[in-house]
Amino acid sequence: MQVRVRTFARLREAIGGDLMLEVPEGATMSRLLAAVGETSEQAGEALFEENGDLRAYVILMHNGRRVRRAEAGTRPLADGDEVALFPPVAGG
Amino acid sequence: MLTDRELERYRRQIAFFGEEAQERLANARVVIVGAGGLGCPVALYLAAAGVGEVRLVDGDVVDLTNLNRQVLHGDRDVGRAKVESAAEKLRAQNPEITVVAIRATLDEENAALLVDGADLIVDATDNFAARYILNRVALGARVPLIHGAVRGFDGQATTIIPGRTACLECIFPVAPPGEDVIPVVGTTPGIIGLVQANEAIKYITGTGDLLADRLLVWDGRAATMTTLPVNRQKDCGACGIDRHSRR
Ligand SMILES: [Zn+2]
Repeated sequence: MQVRVRTFARLREAIGGDLMLEVPEGATMSRLLAAVGETSEQAGEALFEENGDLRAYVILMHNGRRVRRAEAGTRPLADGDEVALFPPVAGG
Repeated sequence: MLTDRELERYRRQIAFFGEEAQERLANARVVIVGAGGLGCPVALYLAAAGVGEVRLVDGDVVDLTNLNRQVLHGDRDVGRAKVESAAEKLRAQNPEITVVAIRATLDEENAALLVDGADLIVDATDNFAARYILNRVALGARVPLIHGAVRGFDGQATTIIPGRTACLECIFPVAPPGEDVIPVVGTTPGIIGLVQANEAIKYITGTGDLLADRLLVWDGRAATMTTLPVNRQKDCGACGIDRHSRR
């Protein structure tokens, strides 16, 4: 199935834009995030800590709804879904 | 009551939202925390719009590296307190309003006093530690907080109405990592600062739809602006209804 991934700020820089990713039927949000991380070294670094954990400040959204980090491992995705990844900025 | 001179000065916007809205602006007290990249455009446009009291809070002095984006400060201001430099320009722009310059760095202890009496707080700070303090003070005082932040060509803004919308900790439970030097293209805080000033004007005059429960995201590279829905979190450490009853 295909899932659209919208990226923002530094993640967009690292990933190069939005993505359409092919993931197995019933894949979870975590599975999708791993697939995003595998698209390039920069993408992996932008999304994950060195120990492999998702960077805690990245905001995850699924079809316009906020998803908590703890839910990512169990949240199933469906064909045509949209996931947004937003890393907030801090300067002023 | 507005004077003849004020009616003339603000004629173009009174033509749009009326005299009563202008009087609300004249009676409003807005605290802007930070007189840097975001604070400069926010303060300049709120002063120009006729906000009765603009209170600026910042503990820093102007540095040469600030000048690519902190547009109220010029070459001759290097070394001066930012709030003094900014206040001088604001008073010259609009002598009809009161500009209060407070040279202080916001912290847990002084935050409540610094924003005391404000109708609206603008987050023009450059770090999340200060933002979380401001968020809690705003919630405690039930005063709306207009958040903005920038990096590079990217920016974000939202309006927090205590008790009604997601607060800063609902939206950003974990702060993005700090950086020694945050790269910023000067136009980015210009754009986000004006979004914040626009929110302030709308809130005060009761015009339009606020960025309530919406996070505005600006991508200056692509020249696109998007809003992402955000919502209040029951277990939010700052505003959540479950925060006292966690077992
Ligand atoms: Zn909250």
